[in-house]
Amino acid sequence: MTEPGERPPVEPMSDVAWARVERGLWARMDGAAAPRRRRVRPWQLGVAGALAAAAALIVWLVARTPDRPQVATAPPPPVEEPTRAVSGETPSAVQFGDIHITLDADSAVVMQHEADRPIALLERGAAWFSVAPRGARPAFEVRAGDLAVRVIGTRFRVARDAEHAEVAVDHGVVEVTFRGSVVRVGAGESWTSEAPGTVAEVAAAEPEPVLAPPARPRPRAAAPSPPPDRDRARYDELVGLEVKDPQAAIQGYLELAKSSRWADVALFAAARLAADRHDPRAQTLLSIYLRRFPHGDNAEDARQLLARVKGEP
Amino acid sequence: MGPAASPARQHDLALARRAASGDRAAQRELFQAQKHAVHHTLFRILGANRELEDLIQDSFLEIFRALPSFRGDSTLARWCQTIATRIAYLAISRRRPAATPLELVAEQVAADDPDAHRVAHAREAARRLYAALERIEAKQRIAFALAVIDDLPLGEVAQLTDSTVVAVKTRVWRARRTLMKRAGSDPVLSHYLAGLGGEA
Repeated sequence: MTEPGERPPVEPMSDVAWARVERGLWARMDGAAAPRRRRVRPWQLGVAGALAAAAALIVWLVARTPDRPQVATAPPPPVEEPTRAVSGETPSAVQFGDIHITLDADSAVVMQHEADRPIALLERGAAWFSVAPRGARPAFEVRAGDLAVRVIGTRFRVARDAEHAEVAVDHGVVEVTFRGSVVRVGAGESWTSEAPGTVAEVAAAEPEPVLAPPARPRPRAAAPSPPPDRDRARYDELVGLEVKDPQAAIQGYLELAKSSRWADVALFAAARLAADRHDPRAQTLLSIYLRRFPHGDNAEDARQLLARVKGEP
Repeated sequence: MGPAASPARQHDLALARRAASGDRAAQRELFQAQKHAVHHTLFRILGANRELEDLIQDSFLEIFRALPSFRGDSTLARWCQTIATRIAYLAISRRRPAATPLELVAEQVAADDPDAHRVAHAREAARRLYAALERIEAKQRIAFALAVIDDLPLGEVAQLTDSTVVAVKTRVWRARRTLMKRAGSDPVLSHYLAGLGGEA
């Protein structure tokens, strides 16, 4: 029997549940579509799968080699105060110090510092992060729910679907912290929240995350050989134009795709931007891209994007 | 707030002002600081419940909306709990008569572990208690939950429910009387209720 006067326990909520509450709260604060918890019906699972792909969080760092002194020693403009960026119906780009962030539609991220360490808190949605090499500076960290990815100097991809998360590393090493467990994930390896204590080899080479161009500052020191050319400068210019004038950016990319060695990247950037903006040209541009570059760096992403544009599962 | 406010109160007031101005970092800090107090209050009043997460969100939305009116007369925690109590009251009023308490699955208890048996028994008793509370009038239910289940002093319950001590005492007494009547044929609940003291 119970002890006299024994109070019923207040059952604690899991970290996952708290993360869910917090995400929903900030979304509701922003007046976004109500993310209140609902009972999931079977048909919704299919829809959720499609949405999950769209809402994948991708973090991409360009810090391929941390041994470029002119970049590593150049202190970026500090991000002193917590700053919040929220996108509406269309993607938007923001710059915090030397961290460039491109937010998907209906996404929110908070940038802040903890003991000089820049932290990005992804409240909801998805974002591309582009970070110059950290060098001796404190590592950059991205947090999404219970997941924290600490950048030691690498390029990697993070995807999130509600409480499920995955990390795949292309170059270098990242440190993944998830509900108390910490693992290092190296080049060619992947990690999933389904098995947080283990690291697996990536089955196939990760495709170049081509959605990244808007978030790629490409410091001069990190430029591929040969040194920066006019097409490259034009490309960077168009990246900056994406938010301000997307139509002009698409047009510019298409011009650039005609003859330059940036044709692959530029044509895909045009198609991707068109798709992001629900431009009816997106399907055609993606098809053209795949005809011209069936084995291009962006081919796999183009196929996926094309399927999404067509509404295929 | 008086001129000799404690540092904690000053901190509460400063945080509330920053959060009220729309500072998301302050709002986040406030959420982190008060989330367990809000959860505790809601859980005490409503028990395990499918709507708990939504109600926590509702509580904080109301807290952030009402923050400009926070003057530091009480602690921020108490002020947040008052709002959570109001949200619980609205939830109870809204969902009647079709209450949807979370059904607890019977636990597998090790046969030779008396402590596990005691815990399992307490959980079952709590489940029956909250099921019985579902049929109690909202204000009586809240008064009983806070004063008896959570064992708060009547004065604090009066503050949380924006009521008087006399009114709270009356509500608790009525709730207990109704519960005891309904528990007449339920030895588990009867025993449990008898063990729950409370000030009233």
